[in-house]
Parts: sequence; C-alpha cells; structure tokens
Amino acid sequence: MITLPEVLSLGALLFCISVAGIFLNRKNVIILLMCIELMLLSVNMNFIAFSHFLGDIHGQIFVFFILTVAAAESAIGLAILVVMFRNKDTINVDSLDSMKG
Amino acid sequence: MIEQIVFYLFGGILLLSASMVVVMRNPIHSALFLVLSFFASSAIWLLLQAEFLAIALVLVYVGAVMVLFLFVVMMLDINIATVRAGFARFLPVGITVAVLMVTAMGLVVGADYFMSDTYMAIKSVGSDYSNTKELGITLYTEYLFQFEVAGAILLVAIIAAISLSMNKSKITKSKNPQDQVFVKKQDRLRVVKMQSETKGTES
Amino acid sequence: MMNADLIIAIPEITLLALACLVLMVDAFSKDPLHLLTYWTTQASLLVVLALVLYYFPENVQVAFNGSFVSDSMSAILKIFMCGISFVVFLYSHEYLKEHKCLKGEYFVLGLFAVLGMMIMASAYSLLSVYLGLELLSLSLYAMVAMQRDSSSASEAAMKYFVLGALASGMLLYGISMIYGLTGSLQLVTIADKINLDDTNRMFLVYGMIFMIIGIAFKLGAAPFHMWVPDVYQGAPTSVTLFISTAPKLAAFAMSMRVLVDGLMPLVEDWQSILMILSVLSMATGNIIAIAQTNIKRMLAYSTIAHVGFLFLGMISGTSSGFSGSMFYIISYALMSMGAFGMIILLGRNGFEADMLDDFKGLSERSPWFAFIMLCLMFSMAGVPPFLGFWSKWFVLKELVASGFVELAGIAVIFSIIGVYYYLRIIKLMYFDKPESMTAIKSSKQMRAVLSLNGLLILALGLSPNILMSLCLTAIAG
Repeated sequence: MITLPEVLSLGALLFCISVAGIFLNRKNVIILLMCIELMLLSVNMNFIAFSHFLGDIHGQIFVFFILTVAAAESAIGLAILVVMFRNKDTINVDSLDSMKG
Repeated sequence: MIEQIVFYLFGGILLLSASMVVVMRNPIHSALFLVLSFFASSAIWLLLQAEFLAIALVLVYVGAVMVLFLFVVMMLDINIATVRAGFARFLPVGITVAVLMVTAMGLVVGADYFMSDTYMAIKSVGSDYSNTKELGITLYTEYLFQFEVAGAILLVAIIAAISLSMNKSKITKSKNPQDQVFVKKQDRLRVVKMQSETKGTES
Repeated sequence: MMNADLIIAIPEITLLALACLVLMVDAFSKDPLHLLTYWTTQASLLVVLALVLYYFPENVQVAFNGSFVSDSMSAILKIFMCGISFVVFLYSHEYLKEHKCLKGEYFVLGLFAVLGMMIMASAYSLLSVYLGLELLSLSLYAMVAMQRDSSSASEAAMKYFVLGALASGMLLYGISMIYGLTGSLQLVTIADKINLDDTNRMFLVYGMIFMIIGIAFKLGAAPFHMWVPDVYQGAPTSVTLFISTAPKLAAFAMSMRVLVDGLMPLVEDWQSILMILSVLSMATGNIIAIAQTNIKRMLAYSTIAHVGFLFLGMISGTSSGFSGSMFYIISYALMSMGAFGMIILLGRNGFEADMLDDFKGLSERSPWFAFIMLCLMFSMAGVPPFLGFWSKWFVLKELVASGFVELAGIAVIFSIIGVYYYLRIIKLMYFDKPESMTAIKSSKQMRAVLSLNGLLILALGLSPNILMSLCLTAIAG
C-alpha cells in the first residue's frame, strides 16, 4: 500500500531537482527547457496523487490540460531557441551581456 | 507490499534519471534520461490508477515532445564546452538551494496530515471500470469551455512555431503542395506512338 | 442551460471566431502593408467591445459549471483591455510599417493574447486561470521573438520564455497543493471549504506561497523582476508597448480572482507576503531606474515600482482598497501606453528613439509633443492634477484607512525618490539642446491618437471621480 506522503515527497524531490537544474544550467537553454518539463512532471505527479487519494477525477483532468499546454509550450520554446541560434550561433543565455545595467 | 516495491523501484529510477538530466554534459544524453524519467513516472501513474494519462504521457512526451527536443539538439551544432562553463561555479549555490528546498518541502508534504481519513477515499473499482471513459465524459461535459481554450492554445503554438521557424530564403528547396495537387495527367505523362517490337524480329 | 452559458461567454466566443478569420484573411492577402489584416483586427476588437457593452452583466453570472464568471469587474476590465489593445495596435502598425518588419502574425497573436486576457478576467476556477494565462503568455513569447533577424529580440524572448515557464511551474505547484487540500478547483468552493475548516491552514499557506511567487513572476514584482528590464529593452518597441499595457490588467484580474475570490480566508497571510513584495518592488524599481540611460529600461524599472504600488491597494484588504488597485492599474496602462507611443513617434526606420538623449530638446523640435510627454511623465511621477496623482492618492488613502500607516509612509518616500527620474526627462526636453533637428514624421492618425492619449491623462486627472466610481461599482457589484 503506497501512502500519499510518499508520492508527494517524490513530487517535491523532483521539483527540487528541477529547480536546482535551472540554477546549475543557467547557460544551457536546452537543458533549461528539459528542467521545465521535469518541473511540470512533478506537478503532474502531485495532481495524480491527490486525485487518487481523494477519489476525485478532476485532478486527472487538470493533468490532461497541463500535458496539452506543456507540449504547446515546448514547441514555442524550441522555435524561439532555433531563432536565437540562427542569430547568435550559440544557445548561451549569458551572452546577453549587452543588456546589463 | 508488491505495490510498495514497484513504487520504490520506479521512484528510484525516476529520481536518478532526473538527476542525470541535470548533470549530463551532452544534451542528447540529458534528453534520453528525460525519456527514461517519463517512462518511470508513467509506471507510477499506472500504480495510482491513472491509466489513460500514463499512456498519454508516453505517447505525447516520449513520442512527440522528446523527438522534437532530440531533433532540435541534433539540428543545432552546440558547443558543449562553452555551455558547460558556468556549471561548476553554480554547483555550491545550486546544491544549497536544493537541500534547503527539500528540507522545507519535505517537512510539509511528509506530514501525518496527509495520512488522515480525507485521503483514504481511494475508489475501489471493478474490472469493467474504464478510466478513459470517465475522463472522457468529464472532459467533454464539465470541461467543455477549458477544452476549447486548450484548442486555442494549440492553435497559437502552431502559428507561433511556423511563423518563427519558417525560412523563406532561397537556400532551402521546398515543394509546393498546391502545384502537386493541381497537376494534370497530361503535364506528367506523355503517350508516344512507337513501332511495336516483337521477340521474333531478330530472326 | 447550455445556451444560457454560451450567451454569457459570447464576447470570448466571437473573439475566437474573429481571430481565426483574421488568420485566414492574412494567409490569403498578398498586401505587404497587411492593411486588410490590420483593419479586420481593429474591427474585431471593436465588435467584441460592443458585445461586452451590450451584454453588460447586471449581476454575477456563472457559466460552464462554475469555471467562467461574468461580473462587472470582468466586464469593465474587458472594455479597457479591448480599448487599450485597439490603440496599441494602432501605434504598433505605425511602428512596424516604419521599421519594415510588418507581419500579419503580430495581429493574429495579438488577438489571441487579448482572448487570453479576457479569459483570465472571467476565470472562476483555477484551471481557467491557468489556461487563460498560458494563452496570453504563449502569444507574448512568440510576439517578442517575431523580429527574427534581431538577436536582442530573440534573446529577450528566450529569457522571457524560460522565466515565464518557471513561473507557470511554480503557480501550478501551488495550485496542486490547494487542490489537494480543498478537493476542488472552483475558486468559490475553495473559499467555502477554507471557511468551514482551516485546521490545515499551514499547508494551505504553503501552497499559496508558491502561487504568489508565480503571480509575482508574471507581474514582475521584485525579487522576481529580473526578466522585466531585459524583455522591455530587447523586444521591439511595439511589443514592449503591448506587454506593458493590457496584460497588466489581466495580471491584476488574475491576482484578484485567486487571492480575493479564492483565498480571501487566508487574507492575513497573503497580506504580509504582499507587503514584502511591495516594499522590495518599490525600492528596486525606483532606485535602479535612476541609473538607466535607456528609456525603455527606465520604464521597465518604473513598471516594477508601479507593481509595488498596485499591491498596496490589495494589502488594505477592503473592497475600496481593491477598487483603488484597479484604478491604479488602469491609469498605469493608459500612461504606459502614451509613454511607449511617444518612443514610437520619435523613432524612424533603422533608428529607435530609446535613449534618454533622444529626448533632448524635444520642446524645440515639437512643442506640442513635448507637452504631451510632460503630461505623461508628471502623471507617472504622481504630480497633481494628473491621473497618476489620483491613483496613488486613492491607494494610499485606503491603506491608511486600514491602519497600515508605516507602509503608506514608506510608499510616499519611494515615490518621492521616483519623481527624480521622471523629472529628468522633462529637464532634458525643455532645458537641453537637441542633438538633431530632424522633424518628427508620422501619420496624422498617430499624432491625433497620441495627443488624445495625453489629454485623456490630463482630463481624467481633472475629474478622477468618473473612473473611480466605475472601479467602485466593478468591485462592489
């Protein structure tokens, strides 16, 4: 028998890994995008856990929508990445030092 | 008992592969580890009786989104050395943030409150129960409005992705579907009258 | 029952249909100026505006199983969203034509963004809030990157995207906790559940903190503001103009829906969080703005400061305080529209008038537009009798009435610091020699609308009660 705190802790750990990943890979946009996918996965884990333990289908519906939006989001993110790579020949975000101040 | 073993096995795989996504040097390895973590969480979702979403996760993410990621990674010629430059510098900060967050979040979500009776309402369902059917009925009745908005979001994604990445320069060659559709038989096929040749001519 | 639901949402449904129509019109028109696309877009906005007015709700109407609400707050915000977007598209068309980067997708995505804002204003469940927000944000990310040959625009788009997606993730984590604790996604049911039983208050606050971080990211409140200056500066001025106006109304609507409609029982907890965010925003915004030489960047920091002020009205926790916040955000959107319109007016092909020095000696080049800019800057600084003064006044009055006297004092100090950098622009315009005497060239309609925009700030400032009574009915009804 799995308990709710176990699943929620798994979600929280996954969330922390993705936040740490965003901190560590600030220069590599493609891994940043993957970390965002991980973060959404952890949120989905939470929703499904609650949905299961509350016996309520609405949490699963929310996950359905998150999956849809996340797919749209990564399509746009990758399109922006391609545009940026064409302009700068790098996917390094820190090279935007021209805009400091 | 067997459920717990499966949960811890896949949970372990999930956390391990998620960490690998973050620390891998090569973006392709990261992407493949991300696929592994999607598979692992899909298994956990099956345990939690979210069958449709578990399958959808594999189909949508592994089948479409990750292929898109891999496609972009391979299309762009990324210099791994420069993008990794900040990693070691941010490592102490990153680990500190992660440890702090894990402690804080663990204290909250690990609390006994989540073991109370409210969270014991797990549905016991018969073998003729279909998760997909229930999800579908709710989605197309109660969530009609949101369903339409999600459609608009996908349309925006299509418009944005096409207008951002379509390259109309002369370097690329592309086919024109309109020309292909409107082509007539006589444009492509020419019937030539020829003298018929028979096998016995050389004799 | 279904038909009644459809009538409540008729402005949104029409806008979706018209946006698809504009998309088709643009796909089949070969006009390099995209005039047909432009005019259909503007006509669509006017049609939707008329529909909102025609179906103005007399009481609170809920549709689609409690996920959509039409009340006077949403209707008034929608009217301003459509009206402001109309003027924004007019300015943008001018800009895009002048800089030769006109694309039909700008208007299509703009309409979808307006649709997203309207959904956010009417959202009554956490799922609608999220979907409306994503519809708006995804359109905005793409609009920022739309100028494909500009490396600063694509880099700004990337930053905006990554931080925006991070904010959505935070917001979603918060939503998942609130859902788990209350078992519902409907804002009203959530409020009822918390009122009935708040033994799990600590867990609710934990979820709420994540949601507030997400909202603060989207609004650009310090310490989650790092994307604002880069995006404002890197994006084409037409897009900066759009981001800084109508979406701010939507962000206000989102915070009202989530914090007031849904989490009002936790008011003491979110008041203290907003207080920290507000003071930090006013401090960062007003102090860093002084050091800027780029006017777009300076206005970005001024936005951060204004968001801090916006929170002040919400902190007071009364319905008149919320009206004050609404007044504040509407007047901010009007002023920001004028200020960025001015940058567009002064720019010409291949030249962006986005440095402070470009405003030097404007009074000699064009006394009239120097006067309009003077109105806008005085208003942003909060000098009476302009609109900006009244917005600050109403917010501070409510804050003092709720007993937050120290906080009001801090706000006054920071807005006095803020006056400095607005006055610097006025000094540059009136007391410095112009660097070049090139005449301002722009179309008659641009000049006329921009003049009206500036005069509106003055006129509303002379009789602020019209707008204020509108905001009071919006929150009360």
